[in-house]
Amino acid sequence: MEVNRYYRPSTLEEAHQTLLQDPKNVLLGGGLWIKKSTPSANVLVDLTAIGLNQIRDLGDRIEVGAMVTQRDFELNPLVRDIDGGILSGAVGQIMGVAFRQLATIGGSIAGRFPFSDVLTPLSALDVTLIFYPHKEISLAEHLNFKGRSSDILTHVIIKKAHGRGYFKKVKTTAMEFAILNIAITLDEGRYRIAIGSRPSAASLAVGAMEIVNEAKKPSISDFERASEKAVEEFLYATTTFAGADYRKALAKAYVRRGLEEVSKR
Amino acid sequence: MKVQFVLNNRHVAFEVDPGEYLADTLRANHVTSVKKACDESACGACTVLLDGRPVLSCSLLTARVEGRSVTTVEAIQDEVDKISDYFGEEGADQCGFCNTGLALTIYALKRELVNPTDEDIKKFVVGNLCRCSGYQAQFKAIKHYLEDSR
Amino acid sequence: MKTINHKTPSVDGKGIMMGRPAFTDDLAEPNSLIVKVLRSPHAFARITKIDTSRARALTGVEIVLTYHDVPRNSFTRAGQGYPEPSPHDKFILDEYVRYVGDEVACVAATSEVIAEKALKLIEVEYEVLEPVLDFESAYQNKNVIHPEDGIREMFPIGFDPKKNVAASYEMHIGDVEQILSKCDVVVDETFYTQAQAHAMLEPHTANARLDYHNRLVMYSSTQTPFHMRRIISQTLELPISKIRLIKPRVGGGFGGKQAMHCEFFVALVTLRTKKPSKMVYTRQEVFESSYTRHPMRIQMRLGAMRDGTLKAIDCHSLSDTGAYGEHALTVFMITGSKVLPLYNKVDAVRFDGRVVYTNHVSAGAFRGYGAIQGNFALESAIDILASKLKMDPLELRRNNMMEEGETSPIFAIMGEGTAGTAMNMDSCKLRYCLDRGAELIGWKDKYPRVQVGPHKVRSVGMAIAMQGSGIPYIDMASATIKLNDDGFYNLMVGATDIGQGSDTVLTQIAAETLMIGVDKVIIYSSDTDLTPFDTGAYASSTTYVSGNAVLKAAKSMKRMLIEEAAHFLEVPVGDIDFDGLKFTAGDKAITLSDMSNKLYYNENQHQLSATESYVGHKSPPPFMAGYVEIELDTETGEYAVLDYVSVVDCGTTLNPMLARGQVEGGIVQGIGMACFEDVKYGTRGKLTSNSFLYYKIPTMLDVKKLTTEFAESYEESGPYGAKSVGEIGIDTPPAAIANAVANAVGVRIAKLPVTPEKIFRGMMLNK
Repeated sequence: MEVNRYYRPSTLEEAHQTLLQDPKNVLLGGGLWIKKSTPSANVLVDLTAIGLNQIRDLGDRIEVGAMVTQRDFELNPLVRDIDGGILSGAVGQIMGVAFRQLATIGGSIAGRFPFSDVLTPLSALDVTLIFYPHKEISLAEHLNFKGRSSDILTHVIIKKAHGRGYFKKVKTTAMEFAILNIAITLDEGRYRIAIGSRPSAASLAVGAMEIVNEAKKPSISDFERASEKAVEEFLYATTTFAGADYRKALAKAYVRRGLEEVSKR
Repeated sequence: MKVQFVLNNRHVAFEVDPGEYLADTLRANHVTSVKKACDESACGACTVLLDGRPVLSCSLLTARVEGRSVTTVEAIQDEVDKISDYFGEEGADQCGFCNTGLALTIYALKRELVNPTDEDIKKFVVGNLCRCSGYQAQFKAIKHYLEDSR
Repeated sequence: MKTINHKTPSVDGKGIMMGRPAFTDDLAEPNSLIVKVLRSPHAFARITKIDTSRARALTGVEIVLTYHDVPRNSFTRAGQGYPEPSPHDKFILDEYVRYVGDEVACVAATSEVIAEKALKLIEVEYEVLEPVLDFESAYQNKNVIHPEDGIREMFPIGFDPKKNVAASYEMHIGDVEQILSKCDVVVDETFYTQAQAHAMLEPHTANARLDYHNRLVMYSSTQTPFHMRRIISQTLELPISKIRLIKPRVGGGFGGKQAMHCEFFVALVTLRTKKPSKMVYTRQEVFESSYTRHPMRIQMRLGAMRDGTLKAIDCHSLSDTGAYGEHALTVFMITGSKVLPLYNKVDAVRFDGRVVYTNHVSAGAFRGYGAIQGNFALESAIDILASKLKMDPLELRRNNMMEEGETSPIFAIMGEGTAGTAMNMDSCKLRYCLDRGAELIGWKDKYPRVQVGPHKVRSVGMAIAMQGSGIPYIDMASATIKLNDDGFYNLMVGATDIGQGSDTVLTQIAAETLMIGVDKVIIYSSDTDLTPFDTGAYASSTTYVSGNAVLKAAKSMKRMLIEEAAHFLEVPVGDIDFDGLKFTAGDKAITLSDMSNKLYYNENQHQLSATESYVGHKSPPPFMAGYVEIELDTETGEYAVLDYVSVVDCGTTLNPMLARGQVEGGIVQGIGMACFEDVKYGTRGKLTSNSFLYYKIPTMLDVKKLTTEFAESYEESGPYGAKSVGEIGIDTPPAAIANAVANAVGVRIAKLPVTPEKIFRGMMLNK
C-alpha cells in the first residue's frame, strides 16, 4: 500500500484532527478491506493506542470497543450469552481464525458491507453506536446514512438479551461471501427478522415481523405468511453469484425455518 | 520508518515503508518460511503468530507490529519437527507451500483449544487453504498429533 | 518388499515444513531486479502506438521491453514432446493483444514500487477490436484472433487460424449412424463443462542470473524444465548449452505450470542488463494471465438394445482454447481417447470436433486433461441410458465396460496428437472397483434416494473412469545412480516433483532395488545441467516412465557392484550374494561401505555410475470407480457431499499414503469442478473470478468424508507393478454428483457446475 505516513495517536482528538486535515488521511481498522479498496493514502491513522479494544459489562448492556477483533468478539463470554450465541455463531463463520484475529468489529460496522455477517445479526438486536466527537445513533440509522463522515466509531453498545437466536449464512463453501444471510431473534415474545446480502445490506423485515408479532400464538401458517412477506417487502437482485428469484426462494425457506427454530420450546 | 519488535525471540529493528506489509518485510529479511500465496487475505499461507495468535502477515502492516512479538516456524523447530512426523505418517505433505502457515496454526490451536471436537479442529484450520491434499490426510495428522500431545 | 508398498514418509516434507528455503522465490538472488508486465485491458486489440520513454526515464528502471525490442519467432508455450502438437502461435510480445491480461510490455526495476510506477508511465494507444467471447460462434467468425504471419503448426493438427481454429480431429470405427438407426434406445444429450482455475498455492514465478561462465541460469516453478530450456533456446536463438534451468520445489502445478509463464521476461531482462532478475505473479495474474482448463461442449449419443447392450457411441465436441493454442489438440483428443474405451465392446464409435480460439484466457493442461470433461459427458449419458432402459446403472456398466485382458481399437488410433499405441489391459480391476465401491457406499440401501426429513433427501451417484500412464514412444525419462564413499548413493533424475512426491517414490524404487534404506539414496532432480533428461511431470508419467528408468539404473548399478565385489573377493560373479549392505561368497565378505571406500581411495579406484533411460511401449490405464452420497435440500436445492468413495486400480501402490493423497487431492479438485468452481467473465471479456474472494476452492469444512481404497493389481510393465495415480482421482466427481442429483430429485444438470440454484430451477420446472 502506498502510504506517506503511519500515525499512531494516543487520543481520539489527535486522530480526529488528522482525519479532518485531508480526505486522503484514512482510519486503519483491521487493515484487511483497506488493502483491497485503497491503493494509496496520505496518513494512515491507527487507533491501536487509544484503548478501544476492550469489551465491558455495563449491567444491562455490553460495550464493545471498535478495535476489538472479530476473534476476541466471537470468544467473549458476554457476547456468547446474547440470544443463544447468535453473534458468536455468525462471526465465527467469517473466513478463518487468522483473518478474524485482524479484522475489527468497528471496521465491519463502519464499512457497511452488504455481505456482512456481522451487520445482519446485530440488526436483529438492540445496538447503539458511539462516535467521536459527539454522536450516538442506532445501528439502523447508521446503515441508512448515505454520506461520508470523519466521525470515528469508538464503541458498539449491545443490549443484553437472553432469548433465542437463529443465524443462517447461505453459501456453498466455508469461506465465501453470503448470497443471503438471515438473523432472527426472539426476546420476551418479540421477534426480529433481519435479512442481508440480498445483495444489499442488512435491514429489518418489518412487514414479516408485524405478522408474527401480532399473532397471539404464532403458528406454522403465521411463519409461512411472514416468510412470504419477507420476500415481498425487499428488493432481491441478481448478481453473478445468485439470481433474484433464487434469493427469494432462499429467503422464504430460511425465514420460515428460522422462525420455527427460535419458537421451539 | 524504523519498526522494532521481537522476531523469533530476538529483538529486531527494520527500516520499512509505512505501507509495507509484514510478509514482505519478513521475506526481505531472509525469513523465507513465510509464503505469499494470494496477498489478498484469503488463503492463510502467510500465517504467522502475533503474540502467540495466528494472523495473516500479508494483511498486517509492519508498522503495527511495533513492540510486539512475531513467531514463525524458525522459532518452534522442535514442535514443527514433531508435527511433520505426523504429516509424513499420513502422507499429508504434498507440495508443502501451505505447510509453514498451517504448522503455526496447529501450534496455536494446541494452545488455544481444550479437548477440541473434530469440528472445532476443522474450524480452526479452515483458513489454511490447501489445493493438493484434499484435507483428509491433513486432518488425520492434526488429530493424531493433538491426541498424542495430551 | 522393504519400502515398496510400505508406509514411507516423504523425503522432503519435514524440511519444507520446518521452513528451509526451497521454492523458486526463496532461491532468487537477493538483489534481483523486479520484473513486472503491463497487461492489456482489452480482450482484443492492436497496439497502434507504444511509448516507453517516460518509463525508461524513471530512476531505478533498468529496462523496458515492447514487441519492438524482442525477437520475433513464434513458439508454443506448451511443455510437450518435440515437435509439439500445439501450434506455434505465440510471440514473446506482439502488436496484438488477445485477452484481458495479455502481455503488452515488460519492465525491470530495482524495486517493486518503482516497477509498478514505471508500468503506469508506459503510454499505449490501442485500436480496440471486437472480441470473440462466445466459443460457439468462434468458428468462421468475421473477427480473426490470429491474423498475423509467422505462426504455424509443427505437423498437421487441423490448424486453420483464419477460421479461428487451433486444431481439429476426427476418427471413427464402424458406421455409427447405421448402428444407431438399429438401436432400440438412443440417448442424445449435449453437455457443457466450464473453465476451471488450477489455483495452486504457489503463484507462477521465475528468476535468472548470469553465472561466472556467463551462462544464463534460471530457477522456474515449472513442470517441464527440459522443454522450457529448449523453447527459450529456440526462441531467443541462444544455444541450449548456454542455458541452465533448475526446477526447485514447486508449490503445486496440476498442469498450470506445464507451459511457460514469465521465463522469457526474466531471461531477456537478465541477458540484456547482465543483472539477476525475478518475477512473481500476483494472484490476479495467476487467474487472469496464466491458464485455465479447456471449457467444452460435448454432444454424446449412445445407442443400445433393450437388453442393455451398448452398441454405438457418437461424440462431437467443441473446445475453447482461448487466446493461444497450448495443449489444444492433445486435451481435445484425450476427451475421447481416455474415456470412450471404457465401453470397448461397441460396434461403432465416432469422435470428432474442433478446438477454437476465443479472446478468453488461454486454456491449457489441467489434471485430467480432457478426460474429466469427456467423463462428465459419457458417464452422465450412461446414467440417462440406464434410466431409459429401466436398468440399474451399475448393471448397465457391468455389462459393457472394459475388462482385464481386453482392448479397444481406440488405443491404436488415438495418441498424442498423432496415431496411438495398441495395448491390452494386462491389468484392469475395474469390475472389482465397481463392486467394492458399491459395497462401501451402501448402494443397495441408498439407490436411488432415501427421504430423511421433510425437505431432505439423500441419494447416491457414481461414475467409472480411466486415464493413462505416460505417452508411449514419446515420453522419455532417464536416471543416473552414483555410488559414494561410505556406501550410499546419489540418484539424479530429470523427473519433476511438483508436490506429488516423485522424489520420494523414485527414491523408494532405487532403495528397494539396491536393498538399502531410503535414507541412503539421496535424490536430486530437475536440473538441466546435472540431471539426465526427463520430459517432465505430466500425462501421469512420473511413476511409470521415470520410475522404470530408475528401476533400470538401479539394476545396472547392482550388476556393477556385484562385478566389483567379485573382483575384490577374487571369486566368480555368480558366487556373490548381495543383501544391500554386504557382499558374501562362502566365507569371504566385504561390506558395501568398505568396498566403496576402497574404490574411492585405495584400490582399482574408479567411480561407479549407472545411467539408464526408458520409453514406454504402452500407457497402461489406471481405473477407478467413484461413488458419492449427497444430502439435498428439496426446498432450496442446496446439497452437501457426505461421502466420496474411491476404489482405484493403479497397479502396485509404491507409496500407499502418497498414492491415497493423489487420489484424494484429485477427488477434491473434481468436487470443486463439479459443485462450484467457475471461471467467469464480464461482458467485455475481463475475468470477474480473478481473486480468491470470488473464485472458491474447497476448504477443509467442505470435505466431510473421503473413503479411498486400492484394488489388488499388478501391471507387469510398470516398476514393481505400478501404473499411474496422479490424474485418475479428478475424473469421476462431476458425473457422479450430477447422477446423484438426478437420483435425488429427478433434475439432470448437463452444464457444470452443478449449483444449488440450477437444481432449484430444475425442480421448479419439474413442478
